[in-house]
Amino acid sequence: MATIGADLVRQMAAGDREAFAVFYDRYAPVVFPLILRIVRERADASDVLQEVFWEAWRDAPAYDAARGSAEAWMVTRARTRAIDRIRATRRRSETFVAPLDDGVAAAPSESAPDAAERAAARGTVMTALDRLPEAQREVIELAYYAGLTQTEIAERLKQPLGTVKTRIRLGLERLREVVKASS
Amino acid sequence: MNHEPYETLAATYAVGALDGQDRIDFERHLAAGCDVCEATLRESAEALATLARSRPPMIPPPAVKDSLLRRLATTTPVGRDVRPRPRPIVWAAGAVAAVIAAAAFTGTYVAARYEAQLGVMARELAALRTRVEREEAALREEVAIYRNAVDLLRDPQAQVVTLRGQGPNPAATGRVIWHPTNGGYVFVANLPSAPPGKAYELWTIGDAAPQPAGVFQVDASGRAAHRIAPVEGGKPVKVFAVTLETEAGVQQPQGPMVLASAK
Repeated sequence: MATIGADLVRQMAAGDREAFAVFYDRYAPVVFPLILRIVRERADASDVLQEVFWEAWRDAPAYDAARGSAEAWMVTRARTRAIDRIRATRRRSETFVAPLDDGVAAAPSESAPDAAERAAARGTVMTALDRLPEAQREVIELAYYAGLTQTEIAERLKQPLGTVKTRIRLGLERLREVVKASS
Repeated sequence: MNHEPYETLAATYAVGALDGQDRIDFERHLAAGCDVCEATLRESAEALATLARSRPPMIPPPAVKDSLLRRLATTTPVGRDVRPRPRPIVWAAGAVAAVIAAAAFTGTYVAARYEAQLGVMARELAALRTRVEREEAALREEVAIYRNAVDLLRDPQAQVVTLRGQGPNPAATGRVIWHPTNGGYVFVANLPSAPPGKAYELWTIGDAAPQPAGVFQVDASGRAAHRIAPVEGGKPVKVFAVTLETEAGVQQPQGPMVLASAK
Protein backbone atom coordinates (compact mmCIF):
# COMPACT_ATOMS: atom_id res chain seq x y z
CA MET A 1 0.00 0.00 0.00
CA ALA A 2 2.83 2.33 0.91
CA THR A 3 4.46 1.48 -2.40
CA ILE A 4 1.42 2.63 -4.34
CA GLY A 5 1.56 5.96 -2.54
CA ALA A 6 5.27 6.32 -3.26
CA ASP A 7 4.66 5.48 -6.94
CA LEU A 8 2.00 8.15 -7.17
CA VAL A 9 4.35 10.75 -5.73
CA ARG A 10 7.02 9.69 -8.22
CA GLN A 11 4.54 10.14 -11.08
CA MET A 12 3.56 13.53 -9.67
CA ALA A 13 7.22 14.47 -9.62
CA ALA A 14 7.29 13.74 -13.35
CA GLY A 15 4.38 16.14 -13.84
CA ASP A 16 1.56 13.58 -14.05
CA ARG A 17 -1.65 15.43 -13.16
CA GLU A 18 -3.81 12.33 -13.26
CA ALA A 19 -1.58 10.73 -10.65
CA PHE A 20 -2.16 13.80 -8.54
CA ALA A 21 -5.95 13.35 -8.78
CA VAL A 22 -5.63 9.72 -7.63
CA PHE A 23 -3.24 10.77 -4.88
CA TYR A 24 -5.72 13.39 -3.72
CA ASP A 25 -8.64 10.96 -3.64
CA ARG A 26 -6.54 8.57 -1.62
CA TYR A 27 -5.09 10.87 1.03
CA ALA A 28 -7.46 13.85 1.31
CA PRO A 29 -10.05 11.82 3.27
CA VAL A 30 -7.29 10.80 5.71
CA VAL A 31 -5.74 14.20 6.34
CA PHE A 32 -8.92 16.29 6.17
CA PRO A 33 -10.33 15.03 9.51
CA LEU A 34 -6.91 15.61 11.10
CA ILE A 35 -6.77 19.19 9.82
CA LEU A 36 -10.35 19.81 10.86
CA ARG A 37 -9.66 18.48 14.33
CA ILE A 38 -6.80 20.97 14.70
CA VAL A 39 -8.27 24.11 13.10
CA ARG A 40 -11.92 23.31 13.94
CA GLU A 41 -13.47 25.55 11.25
CA ARG A 42 -14.46 23.76 8.07
CA ALA A 43 -13.60 26.75 5.87
CA ASP A 44 -10.13 27.02 7.43
CA ALA A 45 -9.65 23.27 7.11
CA SER A 46 -10.48 23.46 3.39
CA ASP A 47 -7.91 26.24 2.92
CA VAL A 48 -5.24 24.28 4.73
CA LEU A 49 -6.08 21.12 2.81
CA GLN A 50 -5.65 22.93 -0.49
CA GLU A 51 -2.35 24.42 0.63
CA VAL A 52 -1.08 21.02 1.79
CA PHE A 53 -1.86 19.27 -1.49
CA TRP A 54 -0.51 22.14 -3.54
CA GLU A 55 2.77 21.87 -1.64
CA ALA A 56 2.77 18.11 -2.13
CA TRP A 57 2.59 18.64 -5.89
CA ARG A 58 5.34 21.26 -5.72
CA ASP A 59 7.60 19.21 -3.43
CA ALA A 60 6.95 15.80 -5.01
CA PRO A 61 10.42 15.73 -6.65
CA ALA A 62 12.00 16.02 -3.20
CA TYR A 63 10.09 13.03 -1.74
CA ASP A 64 12.33 10.14 -0.72
CA ALA A 65 10.51 6.85 -0.15
CA ALA A 66 13.42 5.62 1.98
CA ARG A 67 12.62 8.29 4.54
CA GLY A 68 9.00 7.31 5.08
CA SER A 69 5.67 6.38 3.50
CA ALA A 70 3.72 8.81 1.35
CA GLU A 71 1.01 8.70 3.97
CA ALA A 72 3.37 9.80 6.77
CA TRP A 73 4.74 12.47 4.40
CA MET A 74 1.22 13.88 3.96
CA VAL A 75 0.09 13.51 7.57
CA THR A 76 3.20 15.30 8.88
CA ARG A 77 2.69 18.06 6.32
CA ALA A 78 -1.01 18.42 7.14
CA ARG A 79 -0.41 18.56 10.88
CA THR A 80 2.36 21.17 10.50
CA ARG A 81 0.30 23.44 8.24
CA ALA A 82 -2.80 23.13 10.43
CA ILE A 83 -0.77 24.07 13.51
CA ASP A 84 0.79 27.00 11.60
CA ARG A 85 -2.73 28.18 10.92
CA ILE A 86 -3.92 28.07 14.54
CA ARG A 87 -0.67 29.61 15.78
CA ALA A 88 -1.09 32.50 13.36
CA THR A 89 -4.66 32.99 14.57
CA ARG A 90 -3.48 32.79 18.15
CA ARG A 91 -0.78 35.42 17.50
CA ARG A 92 -3.32 37.72 15.90
CA SER A 93 -5.67 37.48 18.84
CA GLU A 94 -2.66 37.88 21.16
CA THR A 95 -3.74 35.05 23.39
CA PHE A 96 -0.89 32.94 24.54
CA VAL A 97 -3.15 30.27 25.91
CA ALA A 98 -4.42 27.74 23.41
CA PRO A 99 -7.97 26.49 23.68
CA LEU A 100 -8.07 23.19 25.43
CA ASP A 101 -8.79 20.31 23.15
CA ASP A 102 -12.21 18.79 23.75
CA GLY A 103 -10.64 15.44 24.44
CA VAL A 104 -8.31 16.90 27.03
CA ALA A 105 -10.92 19.12 28.60
CA ALA A 106 -13.32 16.24 28.91
CA ALA A 107 -10.79 14.06 30.63
CA PRO A 108 -11.48 14.12 34.37
CA SER A 109 -8.29 13.90 36.36
CA GLU A 110 -9.79 12.23 39.43
CA SER A 111 -10.80 8.97 37.83
CA ALA A 112 -9.58 7.91 34.43
CA PRO A 113 -12.35 6.05 32.64
CA ASP A 114 -11.20 3.24 30.46
CA ALA A 115 -10.24 3.85 26.89
CA ALA A 116 -13.44 2.62 25.28
CA GLU A 117 -15.64 4.72 27.56
CA ARG A 118 -13.54 7.77 26.86
CA ALA A 119 -13.76 7.26 23.12
CA ALA A 120 -17.47 6.67 23.33
CA ALA A 121 -17.88 9.83 25.39
CA ARG A 122 -16.19 11.78 22.62
CA GLY A 123 -18.31 10.06 20.03
CA THR A 124 -15.28 8.77 18.18
CA VAL A 125 -13.86 5.37 17.52
CA MET A 126 -11.22 4.14 19.89
CA THR A 127 -7.73 4.81 18.60
CA ALA A 128 -4.27 3.79 19.64
CA LEU A 129 -4.04 7.06 21.54
CA ASP A 130 -6.85 6.01 23.83
CA ARG A 131 -4.81 3.02 24.93
CA LEU A 132 -2.21 5.28 26.50
CA PRO A 133 -2.14 6.12 30.20
CA GLU A 134 -4.08 9.33 30.75
CA ALA A 135 -1.06 11.49 31.66
CA GLN A 136 0.78 10.44 28.48
CA ARG A 137 -2.24 10.83 26.21
CA GLU A 138 -2.82 14.32 27.57
CA VAL A 139 0.66 15.68 26.77
CA ILE A 140 0.67 14.15 23.29
CA GLU A 141 -2.73 15.66 22.50
CA LEU A 142 -1.66 19.09 23.77
CA ALA A 143 1.46 18.94 21.62
CA TYR A 144 0.21 17.24 18.49
CA TYR A 145 -3.35 18.56 18.20
CA ALA A 146 -3.27 21.83 20.14
CA GLY A 147 0.22 22.80 18.96
CA LEU A 148 1.55 23.66 22.40
CA THR A 149 5.30 23.53 22.93
CA GLN A 150 6.87 21.63 25.80
CA THR A 151 7.27 24.88 27.77
CA GLU A 152 3.63 25.81 27.22
CA ILE A 153 2.49 22.35 28.23
CA ALA A 154 4.56 22.52 31.41
CA GLU A 155 2.98 25.86 32.26
CA ARG A 156 -0.50 24.65 31.41
CA LEU A 157 -0.26 21.49 33.48
CA LYS A 158 1.87 23.08 36.19
CA GLN A 159 4.37 20.27 35.83
CA PRO A 160 8.15 20.48 35.59
CA LEU A 161 9.44 20.57 32.02
CA GLY A 162 11.38 17.34 32.58
CA THR A 163 8.19 15.53 33.54
CA VAL A 164 6.42 16.75 30.43
CA LYS A 165 9.24 15.60 28.18
CA THR A 166 9.41 12.20 29.82
CA ARG A 167 5.65 11.73 29.45
CA ILE A 168 5.83 12.63 25.78
CA ARG A 169 8.62 10.18 25.24
CA LEU A 170 6.95 7.32 27.09
CA GLY A 171 3.63 8.07 25.41
CA LEU A 172 5.12 8.09 21.95
CA GLU A 173 7.06 4.89 22.61
CA ARG A 174 3.84 3.25 23.76
CA LEU A 175 1.95 4.59 20.76
CA ARG A 176 4.54 3.09 18.45
CA GLU A 177 4.21 -0.27 20.18
CA VAL A 178 0.41 -0.23 20.06
CA VAL A 179 0.41 0.72 16.39
CA LYS A 180 2.97 -1.94 15.58
CA ALA A 181 1.01 -4.58 17.47
CA SER A 182 -2.29 -3.72 15.80
CA SER A 183 -0.99 -3.53 12.22
CA MET B 1 27.22 13.72 26.23
CA ASN B 2 25.64 10.27 26.08
CA HIS B 3 22.78 9.69 23.68
CA GLU B 4 19.96 9.16 26.16
CA PRO B 5 18.86 12.83 26.47
CA TYR B 6 18.54 13.04 22.69
CA GLU B 7 15.98 10.24 22.71
CA THR B 8 13.69 12.37 24.84
CA LEU B 9 14.34 15.37 22.61
CA ALA B 10 13.60 13.26 19.51
CA ALA B 11 10.19 12.20 20.85
CA THR B 12 9.28 15.77 21.77
CA TYR B 13 10.48 16.94 18.36
CA ALA B 14 8.36 14.27 16.66
CA VAL B 15 5.16 15.72 18.14
CA GLY B 16 6.33 19.23 17.24
CA ALA B 17 6.67 20.44 20.83
CA LEU B 18 10.40 21.01 21.14
CA ASP B 19 11.22 24.67 21.69
CA GLY B 20 13.95 27.01 22.91
CA GLN B 21 17.50 25.83 23.43
CA ASP B 22 16.42 22.18 23.37
CA ARG B 23 15.27 22.55 19.81
CA ILE B 24 18.45 24.31 18.74
CA ASP B 25 20.53 21.58 20.39
CA PHE B 26 18.52 18.78 18.84
CA GLU B 27 18.52 20.23 15.33
CA ARG B 28 22.30 20.62 15.61
CA HIS B 29 22.55 16.98 16.70
CA LEU B 30 20.35 15.90 13.80
CA ALA B 31 22.28 18.00 11.30
CA ALA B 32 25.48 16.31 12.44
CA GLY B 33 23.86 13.01 11.37
CA CYS B 34 22.29 10.54 13.81
CA ASP B 35 20.78 7.31 12.53
CA VAL B 36 19.14 6.51 15.87
CA CYS B 37 17.24 9.80 16.04
CA GLU B 38 16.40 9.65 12.33
CA ALA B 39 14.84 6.23 12.93
CA THR B 40 12.91 7.49 15.97
CA LEU B 41 11.50 10.39 13.97
CA ARG B 42 10.63 8.13 11.04
CA GLU B 43 8.86 5.54 13.20
CA SER B 44 7.03 8.24 15.13
CA ALA B 45 5.79 9.85 11.93
CA GLU B 46 4.55 6.47 10.71
CA ALA B 47 2.78 5.79 14.02
CA LEU B 48 1.12 9.22 13.95
CA ALA B 49 0.07 8.59 10.33
CA THR B 50 -1.47 5.26 11.33
CA LEU B 51 -3.27 7.09 14.12
CA ALA B 52 -4.68 9.57 11.59
CA ARG B 53 -5.81 6.72 9.36
CA SER B 54 -7.52 4.93 12.23
CA ARG B 55 -10.10 7.73 12.47
CA PRO B 56 -13.10 7.58 10.13
CA PRO B 57 -12.23 9.10 6.75
CA MET B 58 -13.99 12.30 5.74
CA ILE B 59 -14.60 13.48 2.21
CA PRO B 60 -13.53 17.13 1.96
CA PRO B 61 -15.64 19.71 0.10
CA PRO B 62 -15.40 18.97 -3.66
CA ALA B 63 -14.50 22.61 -4.32
CA VAL B 64 -11.03 21.96 -2.91
CA LYS B 65 -10.16 19.33 -5.48
CA ASP B 66 -11.70 21.35 -8.33
CA SER B 67 -9.71 24.38 -7.42
CA LEU B 68 -6.48 22.37 -7.10
CA LEU B 69 -6.95 20.75 -10.49
CA ARG B 70 -7.65 24.13 -12.09
CA ARG B 71 -4.51 25.54 -10.51
CA LEU B 72 -2.50 22.57 -11.72
CA ALA B 73 -3.77 22.94 -15.27
CA THR B 74 -2.47 26.48 -15.55
CA THR B 75 1.00 25.82 -14.21
CA THR B 76 3.93 23.65 -15.06
CA PRO B 77 5.99 22.99 -11.98
CA VAL B 78 9.58 24.15 -12.31
CA GLY B 79 12.04 21.48 -13.30
CA ARG B 80 9.47 19.18 -14.92
CA ASP B 81 8.42 18.56 -18.45
CA VAL B 82 11.94 18.66 -19.81
CA ARG B 83 10.86 17.52 -23.30
CA PRO B 84 11.26 20.49 -25.63
CA ARG B 85 7.91 21.66 -26.86
CA PRO B 86 7.39 21.81 -30.64
CA ARG B 87 7.76 25.41 -31.66
CA PRO B 88 5.34 26.57 -34.34
CA ILE B 89 7.19 28.04 -37.26
CA VAL B 90 4.22 28.22 -39.59
CA TRP B 91 5.04 31.78 -40.46
CA ALA B 92 8.27 30.55 -42.04
CA ALA B 93 6.52 28.28 -44.50
CA GLY B 94 7.33 29.34 -48.01
CA ALA B 95 10.35 31.37 -46.99
CA VAL B 96 13.81 30.65 -48.22
CA ALA B 97 15.46 27.56 -46.71
CA ALA B 98 18.36 29.58 -45.34
CA VAL B 99 15.99 31.93 -43.56
CA ILE B 100 14.14 28.99 -42.03
CA ALA B 101 17.37 27.46 -40.89
CA ALA B 102 18.62 30.73 -39.43
CA ALA B 103 15.30 31.44 -37.71
CA ALA B 104 15.08 27.92 -36.33
CA PHE B 105 18.63 28.19 -35.07
CA THR B 106 17.94 31.55 -33.40
CA GLY B 107 14.69 30.26 -31.94
CA THR B 108 16.29 27.18 -30.47
CA TYR B 109 19.22 29.21 -29.23
CA VAL B 110 17.00 31.78 -27.52
CA ALA B 111 14.78 29.08 -26.07
CA ALA B 112 17.78 27.17 -24.76
CA ARG B 113 19.13 30.33 -23.16
CA TYR B 114 15.76 30.99 -21.56
CA GLU B 115 15.51 27.50 -20.22
CA ALA B 116 19.01 27.67 -18.78
CA GLN B 117 18.18 31.00 -17.21
CA LEU B 118 14.91 29.68 -15.82
CA GLY B 119 16.79 26.78 -14.30
CA VAL B 120 19.23 29.18 -12.62
CA MET B 121 16.34 31.30 -11.37
CA ALA B 122 14.54 28.26 -9.99
CA ARG B 123 17.67 27.17 -8.14
CA GLU B 124 18.23 30.67 -6.80
CA LEU B 125 14.62 30.84 -5.70
CA ALA B 126 14.88 27.49 -3.93
CA ALA B 127 18.09 28.59 -2.19
CA LEU B 128 16.44 31.84 -1.16
CA ARG B 129 13.44 30.01 0.19
CA THR B 130 15.62 27.71 2.26
CA ARG B 131 17.49 30.72 3.62
CA VAL B 132 14.33 32.61 4.49
CA GLU B 133 12.90 29.52 6.15
CA ARG B 134 16.07 29.06 8.16
CA GLU B 135 16.12 32.72 9.19
CA GLU B 136 12.46 32.57 10.09
CA ALA B 137 13.08 29.53 12.27
CA ALA B 138 15.95 31.34 14.02
CA LEU B 139 13.77 34.40 14.57
CA ARG B 140 10.95 32.26 15.90
CA GLU B 141 13.36 30.73 18.40
CA GLU B 142 14.53 34.15 19.48
CA VAL B 143 10.99 35.46 19.87
CA ALA B 144 10.05 32.33 21.83
CA ILE B 145 12.94 32.94 24.24
CA TYR B 146 12.01 36.59 24.75
CA ARG B 147 8.33 35.81 25.12
CA ASN B 148 9.02 33.10 27.66
CA ALA B 149 11.41 35.39 29.54
CA VAL B 150 8.76 38.11 29.69
CA ASP B 151 6.16 35.60 30.84
CA LEU B 152 8.58 34.48 33.52
CA LEU B 153 9.13 38.08 34.66
CA ARG B 154 5.41 38.42 35.32
CA ASP B 155 5.74 35.75 37.98
CA PRO B 156 6.28 37.42 41.37
CA GLN B 157 8.61 34.56 42.32
CA ALA B 158 11.00 35.38 39.48
CA GLN B 159 14.16 37.26 40.34
CA VAL B 160 16.71 39.07 38.22
CA VAL B 161 20.36 38.44 39.03
CA THR B 162 23.19 40.58 37.64
CA LEU B 163 26.35 38.91 36.34
CA ARG B 164 29.64 40.82 36.19
CA GLY B 165 32.64 40.25 33.94
CA GLN B 166 35.59 38.49 35.57
CA GLY B 167 39.30 38.36 34.79
CA PRO B 168 40.13 39.42 31.27
CA ASN B 169 36.54 40.48 30.43
CA PRO B 170 35.58 43.26 32.86
CA ALA B 171 33.23 44.78 30.25
CA ALA B 172 31.13 41.61 29.93
CA THR B 173 27.70 41.78 31.52
CA GLY B 174 24.85 39.40 32.06
CA ARG B 175 21.41 39.07 33.60
CA VAL B 176 19.71 35.93 34.78
CA ILE B 177 15.96 35.80 35.06
CA TRP B 178 15.45 32.99 37.51
CA HIS B 179 12.42 31.18 38.81
CA PRO B 180 12.98 28.70 41.66
CA THR B 181 10.84 25.97 40.11
CA ASN B 182 10.62 26.81 36.40
CA GLY B 183 14.30 27.64 35.76
CA GLY B 184 15.04 30.70 33.69
CA TYR B 185 17.12 32.48 31.07
CA VAL B 186 20.52 34.08 30.96
CA PHE B 187 21.23 37.04 28.69
CA VAL B 188 24.84 38.09 28.21
CA ALA B 189 26.55 40.93 26.33
CA ASN B 190 30.09 42.04 25.51
CA LEU B 191 31.61 38.57 25.64
CA PRO B 192 34.19 37.77 22.97
CA SER B 193 33.42 34.82 20.67
CA ALA B 194 34.68 31.59 22.19
CA PRO B 195 37.87 30.28 20.51
CA PRO B 196 37.36 27.35 18.08
CA GLY B 197 36.40 24.17 19.90
CA LYS B 198 35.35 26.12 23.00
CA ALA B 199 32.02 27.32 24.33
CA TYR B 200 30.69 29.13 27.34
CA GLU B 201 29.15 27.01 30.06
CA LEU B 202 26.74 28.21 32.70
CA TRP B 203 26.80 26.90 36.28
CA THR B 204 24.28 27.08 39.07
CA ILE B 205 25.90 26.97 42.49
CA GLY B 206 23.95 26.19 45.64
CA ASP B 207 25.19 24.45 48.74
CA ALA B 208 26.73 21.56 46.84
CA ALA B 209 29.16 21.41 43.91
CA PRO B 210 28.44 23.65 40.87
CA GLN B 211 25.83 22.13 38.54
CA PRO B 212 26.27 22.43 34.76
CA ALA B 213 23.39 24.44 33.25
CA GLY B 214 24.16 24.23 29.56
CA VAL B 215 26.68 25.50 27.01
CA PHE B 216 26.13 28.40 24.66
CA GLN B 217 27.89 30.52 22.07
CA VAL B 218 27.69 34.29 21.65
CA ASP B 219 26.77 35.90 18.33
CA ALA B 220 28.96 38.27 16.33
CA SER B 221 27.96 41.18 18.56
CA GLY B 222 28.96 39.31 21.72
CA ARG B 223 25.43 38.57 22.88
CA ALA B 224 23.63 35.37 23.79
CA ALA B 225 20.32 34.25 25.25
CA HIS B 226 20.23 30.82 26.81
CA ARG B 227 17.55 28.79 28.55
CA ILE B 228 18.40 27.44 32.00
CA ALA B 229 16.66 24.25 33.07
CA PRO B 230 15.28 24.19 36.61
CA VAL B 231 17.59 22.81 39.28
CA GLU B 232 16.63 19.29 40.33
CA GLY B 233 14.42 19.30 43.40
CA GLY B 234 14.13 23.09 43.22
CA LYS B 235 17.23 23.54 45.41
CA PRO B 236 18.11 27.22 45.90
CA VAL B 237 20.78 28.72 43.66
CA LYS B 238 23.13 31.18 45.35
CA VAL B 239 25.53 31.99 42.53
CA PHE B 240 25.37 31.86 38.73
CA ALA B 241 28.69 31.68 36.92
CA VAL B 242 29.91 31.30 33.33
CA THR B 243 33.21 29.63 32.43
CA LEU B 244 34.98 28.95 29.16
CA GLU B 245 35.05 25.21 28.48
CA THR B 246 35.37 22.74 25.66
CA GLU B 247 32.54 22.89 23.14
CA ALA B 248 30.76 19.78 24.40
CA GLY B 249 30.61 21.08 27.98
CA VAL B 250 32.07 19.53 31.12
CA GLN B 251 30.56 18.22 34.37
CA GLN B 252 32.84 20.27 36.65
CA PRO B 253 34.12 23.77 35.87
CA GLN B 254 37.72 23.65 34.63
CA GLY B 255 38.23 26.72 32.46
CA PRO B 256 38.53 30.38 33.42
CA MET B 257 35.48 32.15 34.89
CA VAL B 258 34.22 34.96 32.65
CA LEU B 259 31.00 36.01 34.40
CA ALA B 260 29.64 35.55 37.89
CA SER B 261 26.89 36.90 40.12
CA ALA B 262 27.75 38.53 43.45
CA LYS B 263 27.71 36.11 46.36
